[in-house]
Order: sequence, then structure tokens, then C-alpha cells
Amino acid sequence: MNSQFAERPVEIVMIEDDEGHARLIEKNIRRAGVNNPIMSFANGTEAINYLFGADGSGFVNKGKPLLILLDLNLPDMTGIEILGRVKTNEHLKRIPVVVLTTTDDAVEIQRCYDLGCNVYITKPVNYENFANAIRQLGLFFSVIQVPATE
Amino acid sequence: MNRSRRTFGGLQPLLLGFGFALLVAISVATVMLVQRASNDAQLIAQTLSEQNMLSDLLLSMRRAESSQRGYLFTQNDAYLDEFRESEPVAKKLVDQLQDLAKGNAARLTVLDRVSDLVDTKFAEMNKTIALDKAGDHDKARAEVLDNSGRILMARLRAVIEDAIAGEGKVADERSALSRQTNTMLLIVTLVGAGLIVLIGFASLVLVQRNYRRAEAARQELADTNANLERIVEYRTADLTEANEEIQRFAYIVSHDLRSPLVNVMGFTSELEALRKDIFAHVETLTARLADLDRAAAETETTSETDKLRQYGADFDEAIRFIKTSIANMDRLINAVLKLSREGRRQFRPEVIDMNALLDTIGQNVGHRAAEMDATITLHPLPEVESDRLALEQIFSNLVDNALKYSRPGVPPTLDVSGSATATDVTYQVKDNGRGIGADDHQRVFELFRRSGRQDQPGEGIGLAHVRALVRRLGGTITLSSELEQGSIFTIRLPRWWSAGTRSAA
Repeated sequence: MNSQFAERPVEIVMIEDDEGHARLIEKNIRRAGVNNPIMSFANGTEAINYLFGADGSGFVNKGKPLLILLDLNLPDMTGIEILGRVKTNEHLKRIPVVVLTTTDDAVEIQRCYDLGCNVYITKPVNYENFANAIRQLGLFFSVIQVPATE
Repeated sequence: MNRSRRTFGGLQPLLLGFGFALLVAISVATVMLVQRASNDAQLIAQTLSEQNMLSDLLLSMRRAESSQRGYLFTQNDAYLDEFRESEPVAKKLVDQLQDLAKGNAARLTVLDRVSDLVDTKFAEMNKTIALDKAGDHDKARAEVLDNSGRILMARLRAVIEDAIAGEGKVADERSALSRQTNTMLLIVTLVGAGLIVLIGFASLVLVQRNYRRAEAARQELADTNANLERIVEYRTADLTEANEEIQRFAYIVSHDLRSPLVNVMGFTSELEALRKDIFAHVETLTARLADLDRAAAETETTSETDKLRQYGADFDEAIRFIKTSIANMDRLINAVLKLSREGRRQFRPEVIDMNALLDTIGQNVGHRAAEMDATITLHPLPEVESDRLALEQIFSNLVDNALKYSRPGVPPTLDVSGSATATDVTYQVKDNGRGIGADDHQRVFELFRRSGRQDQPGEGIGLAHVRALVRRLGGTITLSSELEQGSIFTIRLPRWWSAGTRSAA
């Protein structure tokens, strides 16, 4: 996965509170041949700090091609809050956000798309399907074009 | 309170009866007394008229005598007019008096004497007048001077005056009696009226007291009712809330249980993959070792390979158990999730043609039914206003169960019938299957519980789901069945949808 504008490899920011899930997601993405760096965060606060930087402006990530893999159920905040903040930040709003969560509530899905989420994926309960979905997501990552942040 | 009310309840008719009796008594007494008073008055009037008549008689006699004397004195015939008039008047009065005194012996004797004296007096006067007319003036005068006429007259007067005095006494007695009667009448009327007023007052007091009691009781009842309604409202709200909470809980639990399960499954798969790698690696190592040490290999390789195979088998067994358990757990969690999701679904009520609905369900299982040689009979079913999807699920489940749990060797028969009342509809799904033992009648409706031979696949959620749906539609489901005798599921639903139909269940 490459950025169209910068020659830097796209960095995947994974926000997932379940370490097992995080590990399984990483493994299956790697199996799909995606070798991009993955930054993993187990809670919202750390992820926010990383994305928005110490000053909270998001300026730290200016010009960096990022892709966010977001779980909605986090211990300290909801993924929706993070989604909202990313999509309203002038530097981060173009980052593709993939919501990967267990919730398949129609209202929740609508809300995420309304807030600007780019892809919404429900984690399949069955592991085979789960692994499959992640691998396909990995394949999707390998062809997707990601803009650099401004 | 009850007892006192009964006392009052008994007292009131008693009082009323007493008042009525009193009224009757007063009326009777009054009528009697009035009768008596009128009798008295009549008697007094009679006495007075008798007195009058006696006076008149005396007067007539005197007029007759004075006219006789006038004639004897003047020999003028004109004086005799009055005499002639007086005689029949006096006779008539005597007759009348005798008539009136009929039945009164003492009076009659007196009157007989009066009559005699009157007759004698007229005889004497007629005699003198006759003597005088015959020209015998002296003899006539001698007759008069003889004083016999005067004495006669004096005796007559004395008798009549006596009679008048007697009559007066009678009149006094009678009027005294009459006064007494009137006084009695007055007293009876006054006393009666007083009693009536008293009873009326007592009744009024009683009625008022009863009314007050009834009013208080009514008020109390109304309060209790209002209270009851409030309690029911609270309870319903509580139940609804608790139910919603349970559903949320079920949803969250099933939802959150899936996350760790995905890990367990995922890492089990990872382990499996790892196993292949490890064993392949060990085999290579063993082979290499055998190459290096041929002497040792002669003796050891076979046992090493055997051991390795044993390890592999153990590993596979463990993994297999983990995987089947996970699959089971996954199914159960999915079942709970499905139920909780159903519980959250909003119903869309519409009027449903149940015949068409059951027809469709029959067609859906048609292939399987034909394979099993099953007969599905649909009787005419009443329509109902309810949620279509829920009813489809309910009846699909029941029809499905009927086919699934048939008796071996007996072609299933399935019979769906229905009836309606003004407020409810009832549907019956009857089969000839293996039936359900009485002990399990409640259990089969519980989640994850099944009954009888466990020779058919299933999680034990079908009937739990059916019951949850029926309850949410505001209905009930009952089962009547015996082992090996088939089952009848009876579903009762409200015929018309109302806001209250969605029960808390």
C-alpha cells in the first residue's frame, strides 16, 4: 500500500482494545502480503495522543499517509468519538477510517457513515470468516490509494 | 362495620313497618271516632228536634185551648179556626214522637201518657164546643168551669215539660259524650301525627347515616381502585423496564462473549497451524539425526516415529475437543443473540389472512413433508391483526417441530385449526408425533432445553423463541401432550391489535 503523493509507506493505526483480536488481525493482514508498519493501540486515549500529538492539533501527522483501523468498543471512550474527532480535524480528515467492530446495529452503522467513516466491517463471529474477512481487508489494503494528510 | 350495617339494615324496615302500622291504626281509630262523633251529633240533633216537637205539641195544645175558650166566650166561629188547625198538628206531632221513640220503652210510656192526655183534652174540648154549638151554653161553660179541662191541661204540661227536661238531660249526656269523642279524636290524631313525625325523623337520620356510610365506602372503593391502577401501572413499568434490561443484558452478554471466543478460535487455529510446522520440523530433525547416527537410528527411529505419531494424535484430539466446544458455545451465543434481537424488533401490526400464511409455510416444508409421506391438513382459520413476521416464525417453528419429531415408522399428520371469539383468536397445531411427557411440558419452552430422544439436531431455542414471540404479541401458548400420543399446541392471541397488546413479557 502506497501513498499517491508521498513515497512513504502507509502506516496502519490499529485501535483495538482486545489484544488477541489485534494480534489475529495483524497476523491475517500479514498473511495477505501486507507489510506496512502497524501501530497498535489498546485504548482510545493513547490512540488520540498519537494521532493528534501533544498539542492536540493533529499537526504531527501532517503529510503522513495513515490508515485507521478502528474498533468501536473501547474501554475509555467509544470509537465513534475518535471517528468524529478525526473526521473534523483539518489535518486528519482525509485519513481513511475502517471501522472493524462486533456491533452490527443498523443505527450504529449509519451513524459511523454519517460521521465520515470510509468502510464499516462487522467482525464475523466465526473465526474462519473472521480470518477470511481480515485477509480480504489486507488484499483491499494492498490496492487502496491513501492520500497524505495535509 | 359489617355488623352495625346489618343492624341498621334491619332497623330501618322495622321502623317503616311500625310507622305503617301506626298510620293504619290512626286511620282506623279516626274513622271510628268520626263515625261515633257523627252518630253523637245525629243523636243530639234528634233529641233537640224531639224537644222542639214536644214544645210545639204543648204550644198547639195551648192554642187549641185558648181558641176553644175564645169560642166559648164569644160564640164566634172564627175562633174555632185555630182549634181545628191545632188538632191534626198535635196528633201528627204525637205520632212523630212515637215514631222517633220506637225501641225506647220508657219514652214510649211517657208518650203514651201524652197521647192519652192529648186525646182526652181534645175530647173534652170537642165536647164543650159541641155542647155550645147545640146551644147548650151553660152546660158548656159548666164543663169548663168544672176545671177538669184545666187540670188536664196542667197534667199535660207537667208531663211534656218533664219529657222535655228528660230530653235535655239526654242531650247533655250526648253532647258530653260527643265532646269526649272529639277530644279523643284530637288526641289520637295529635299523638299519631307526633309518632309519624318521630318515625320520619328517625328514618331520615338512619337514611342519612346509611347514605354517609355508603358514600364513605364508595369513596374508599374508588380510592382503592385508583390505588390499584397506580400499583398496576408501576408494576407494569417496572416489568417493562426489567424486561428491557434483560434484553439489553442478553444482547451485551452475547455480544461481549463473542470477542473472547473469536480469540479462542483464532489462536486454536494458530496452534493447529503451528502444530503442522512443529511436527514437520521435528520430522526433518529426526531424519537428519538418523542420517548422522545410523547405528542409533536402527534401534530408535521406529520408536521415535511411533512416539511422534502418538503426540500428534493427542494434539489433534485436544484441538478437536476445543473446536467442537467452541462451535457449541458459538451456537448458543448466537441463539441468545438472535432471541434478544427478536425481543428488540418493533412489531408492525396488520390484518393477516392466516390461511394464506399457513399455506405458504406448508409449501415451504412441502418437499420434506412429501419425503416423509406427511399429511398436512389446514382447516379454515380466522384472521387476526398482528405482526406477520412473528406469526410466520411461530407457525414455521411449530410445523417444523411436528415434522421433525415424528414417531419412527408412522407417517406424520399435521392438523391446523382455529376459532375466534369477539376478542380472541385461538389456533391449534396438532400432530401425531412422539409427544412430550407431562414433566417436560414447561421445560420444552425454556431456552436450550429439549425433551425426549436427542436424535434430531437442534439447540433447544425453537419453542423458547415461539413462546417469547407469542407473549410479546400479547397471547399465550399452551401444550397438551402425552408421550407417543402426539401433541397439541394451542395459541391464543388478541384478535385486534392495541397499544397495550405489547405486553411486558
